[in-house]
Amino acid sequence: MKNALPVLRAERGWSQADLAERLGVSRQTVNSLERGRYDPSLPLAFRIARTFDRRIEDIFDPEG
Amino acid sequence: MNATESRHVDARASGSRLYGLYVLALAVCLIGNLVMRQGAQGGWLPPAAQLLLGLVAAAPLIVAAFLFWRLLRRDLDEMLQRIVLEGLAFALVLYIPLAALYVNLRTAGAWTPRLDPPDILLTPALLVCVGIALAIRRYR
Repeated sequence: MKNALPVLRAERGWSQADLAERLGVSRQTVNSLERGRYDPSLPLAFRIARTFDRRIEDIFDPEG
Repeated sequence: MNATESRHVDARASGSRLYGLYVLALAVCLIGNLVMRQGAQGGWLPPAAQLLLGLVAAAPLIVAAFLFWRLLRRDLDEMLQRIVLEGLAFALVLYIPLAALYVNLRTAGAWTPRLDPPDILLTPALLVCVGIALAIRRYR
């Protein structure tokens, strides 16, 4: 699934490790999410949305 | 970030340590098995001692299994949990038909490789490694 995670993270100047720490996941998981190799669970998607103060559908594109 | 979330950050290091512990525990079990067989063949290890050695040698694997379960349930994040579970599933679905095929070929009198207890112990461990490697490749 395509997503805006790399853009949102870059806007804030966070590294993947920074975002991983904020989300409570490993850096490897953030990397896989950004590359669209792994789709997050609903609880993790909500945590991501809260972290960036966006809606889930603003970050993730199911058509991607 | 709460305590549950912060545990996930070091999950990979925990996983590597636990894998090392598991391999070590498996090695202890295999060495115990080797000593038991040598002792039985050489006649210098009485049956009661063989039984005791068999139980003691398997104990580290039981501890490792408990630690593995705790790591899987509490410390790994959701993607790493999925990778480990897919690795275990891969090993299970492959090991059962392989074992069944081996038993059937052996029963039919066809040539089969001679499998010792260490081979039987190592095969699922090897299949789990392969399964985890394939899952890592899929998600990374």
